[in-house]
Amino acid sequence: MTLEQGATGLDRPARGRLHRLRYRLKIILREPTTIIGVLAAALFAYLIIVPILSLLVDAVQVQFGDERRIKQDVGAFTSYYLERVFSSRISHDMFWEPLRNTLTVAFGAIVLSMLVGGTLAWLLSRSDMFGRRWFATALIVPYMLPAWTFALAWTTLFKNRTVGGQSGWMESLGFTPPDWLSYGQVPVIIILALHYSPFVILLFGNALRRFDSQLEDSARILGASRLTVTRKIILPLMRPALMSAMVLIFAKCLGEFGVPYVLGLPVDFDVLATSLYRNIASRQSGVGAVLAGAIMLIGIITITIDARLMKEARRFVTVGSKGSMNRLSPLGLWRMPATLFAALMFLFSVGLPIATLFLSTVMKVPAQFTFDNFTLDYWIGTDLKTVALTTGILLSPELWNAAWNSLTIVGTASIVSGLLGLLVGYVVARTPVRPLATFLRQVTFLPYLVPGIAFATAYLSLFAVPRGPIPALYGTTLILVLALIADQMPYASRAGISAMMQLGKEPEEAAQVAGAGWLRRMMLIVVPIQKGSLTTGILLPFISGIKGLSLFVVLAVPSTDVLTTYSLRLVDYNYTQAANAVVLIIAALAYFGALLGQKLTRTNLAEGLGS
Amino acid sequence: MPKINLSGVEKNYGGNAANAVADLDLEIGDGEFMCLLGPSGCGKTTTLRMIAGLENLSAGEITVGPRVVDSIAQGVFVPPEKRQMGLVFQSYALWPHLTIERNIDFGLRLRNMPPSDREARVTSVMKTLGIEKYRARYPSQLSGGQQQRVALARMLAVNPEVLLLDEPLSNLDAALRLEMRAELKRLHQEFKTTIVFVTHDQWEAMTLATTIAVMSDGRLQQVGTPNDIYDRPANLFVARFVGNPPINIVELGQENSVLSQNANRFLSPHGGELGAASAIALRPEAIRIARQGDDVPAGVLSGGAQVTGILPTGGSWIIELTCGAEKLFLITHQPPDAEVGEAITYWAKPKALHVFDAAGNRLDAADRLLRPERKLNS
Repeated sequence: MTLEQGATGLDRPARGRLHRLRYRLKIILREPTTIIGVLAAALFAYLIIVPILSLLVDAVQVQFGDERRIKQDVGAFTSYYLERVFSSRISHDMFWEPLRNTLTVAFGAIVLSMLVGGTLAWLLSRSDMFGRRWFATALIVPYMLPAWTFALAWTTLFKNRTVGGQSGWMESLGFTPPDWLSYGQVPVIIILALHYSPFVILLFGNALRRFDSQLEDSARILGASRLTVTRKIILPLMRPALMSAMVLIFAKCLGEFGVPYVLGLPVDFDVLATSLYRNIASRQSGVGAVLAGAIMLIGIITITIDARLMKEARRFVTVGSKGSMNRLSPLGLWRMPATLFAALMFLFSVGLPIATLFLSTVMKVPAQFTFDNFTLDYWIGTDLKTVALTTGILLSPELWNAAWNSLTIVGTASIVSGLLGLLVGYVVARTPVRPLATFLRQVTFLPYLVPGIAFATAYLSLFAVPRGPIPALYGTTLILVLALIADQMPYASRAGISAMMQLGKEPEEAAQVAGAGWLRRMMLIVVPIQKGSLTTGILLPFISGIKGLSLFVVLAVPSTDVLTTYSLRLVDYNYTQAANAVVLIIAALAYFGALLGQKLTRTNLAEGLGS
Repeated sequence: MPKINLSGVEKNYGGNAANAVADLDLEIGDGEFMCLLGPSGCGKTTTLRMIAGLENLSAGEITVGPRVVDSIAQGVFVPPEKRQMGLVFQSYALWPHLTIERNIDFGLRLRNMPPSDREARVTSVMKTLGIEKYRARYPSQLSGGQQQRVALARMLAVNPEVLLLDEPLSNLDAALRLEMRAELKRLHQEFKTTIVFVTHDQWEAMTLATTIAVMSDGRLQQVGTPNDIYDRPANLFVARFVGNPPINIVELGQENSVLSQNANRFLSPHGGELGAASAIALRPEAIRIARQGDDVPAGVLSGGAQVTGILPTGGSWIIELTCGAEKLFLITHQPPDAEVGEAITYWAKPKALHVFDAAGNRLDAADRLLRPERKLNS
């Protein structure tokens, strides 16, 4: 009797635990959500974490071809590359100088874009400047164009005799611009500032718009002057938005490749991204891995700071109620000059570069505005007297090949990442296994911390050689698609997660109670409701993918050329007009794509353009 | 129609958070209109969702009729789509991409009903709820009240054995809410469905329910008919939560409280039997006032007070009395026979008194003593 009691007494908790476990398993496995989540987690681990790890391992392992120099076998542990990058005779040129340049360019661009963008943001959201609605859209356009559109326009205007090939307009007009104006730091800073000031306009402008006028009014009523209100109330509350814009611009500048490549090359002006590219181009994969790792590290630090700031910003949220109606400051006499300033900025950042690029493609001799100097040969001519590319760009099969590649590669990647993003959103919002949700959210966000060029290097490191059942993918379209998918996941998964969170559980639960199983709910309820956000989730990455360069420049080979790498190749071979024409095509695609997206989804896509 | 039985049900969301629902035993009878009543965060919605199967249990068992639908011990979990229940959400959760007709039709399609029957069923439910003219519209084109009807129609269409309602009226304006309440009561009588209704609105619970379950902090406080809940609150929480204006509570044995002394004086003859008494409560409508010179009946609880406020609410008057530093509120449906500033005597019949012990639980001994004419519920 006592024995029996003792036995059951011992047994009961154990059996209880077993039942509990069985029940939990039943709950977890009842629906495919968790299984899909696990599969997605494995996929992203392979597409995102493994390449980065492989890159980091490359940095400390003897690479193929370096055995003799390092006097160790391939794959052995070595600190050779680290020393080479950070403390050798060439580390100044390879790392420290590019780092300094990267930092000066980034800070220069930040300061300049803050000044310009901040002023414009205020004028757009809080003043009675003329044409604010129109400017609000027009001034965002620079961000829809690839940054190096401006770089090409700049060289078209300011190229001097330092570099061969067709001369710049200034030079043709008899004025030789000095090197500092034509190439290197100054133009890079100006161009990046123009390109990223829409960032400030959007982030700062939104914060200003949401700012509750009552906060301002209270201070005014208590007797504060306008200046005091600005200094003590508005600016402190705006600080998180401003800081966040700054950090994001910095992160973008860090990975910026096209602009410094076009404008820095003639005067040996290297930033980290171009230095990395050079090393990869000359097959220095070990050194490349170290450089990519360094860029990655700086990126991670920056975004971590940003995350901190955003957390702080949440404390500052000023809920926009009825009171958030914002009053416009009358500019008085300054109304006209302010409008002129905005118009001028539009002219500089959109009108002039586009016009320059376009004119350069229809003129034989630069900057000679006579009727017989105009030609359509560069677009549709035949039998041109050039070494290669003897037809106008529109008649060249390479262009159509590149365009086709662009559309298919970027298109496939965008559709896949859009769908994956929604799936991730679904799993994150629904799975009862919280660690899985957290892992998915973080792993899909990881590429955001890694500038494109470093990420591409990681892909190169993993997929350049066959590994296990996976053949070497370098030179295939597949590697581009995979890298692009991984690179776009931060945006896609964020869009998916926020869409699913916004939708909430209830519509789906209502269907569930009504008797619909998982597949039915997905097909009849979830996907149809999320149609809009899925469209955005596909379109946004598509637009940024079409104009993207840094990812492709590492991974594309001539047969998998996309529009951006094709135009870069044309720049390298000095086919200025053709290169400019291709860039114009890219710009048009990106711009009209964004416009179409805006029409389709009735939202302001510019605000979501994240890369 | 089945009986729903919850036994030892517990829910926690993990971590160190307190249980959202703890140790809940509740039986919902066949054809009953059961209201889960409590302040927000008391676990009533969680309970409802566990019945629906949208939340799983942390402990316990739920049966519907003869069927175990959820049990840790047996490792059973019947998913919501197989429980044949209807649930109307607080947000209505209409599917924005489907027309009203398709919204209502959804469950019927899943049950593979032939199209002509479906059509007839949808039309009849729409007629019952007066929404047939919105057939081809989308949810976003309807007002809140219309959406609420559609949400109800969507669930009624499949003729569920159990209908669960999660604060379905809270987003409606007052007039519409009254109308919908009447409609719900009518539907309950017509369809004879077992209904579980979650609300934080005591008025709603009182007017609709056949049985009310009051919850607080994840625990069941009292189950009973609306009258039970109002007339015999099982503890101080229920007493406070139900009733508007709120019940007056006087703690006993307070040295410097006039009210406390008045109550002590009244209870002292019963000292032995009511030794455990720690607080008394008085409904505002149970308190009467007597002007100077008026008679106060013998054997009642009484004391002096000053009228410090008269608040007309249209049809009735709330009177604020001040005794020393404390206040009493009473409500009267006759024009008040006193003026602000006047010194009066308040009094209340013994049977109107609710007596609670130190733990806040109702003292049954007091009821036997003070309300001998009432039959005590078992």
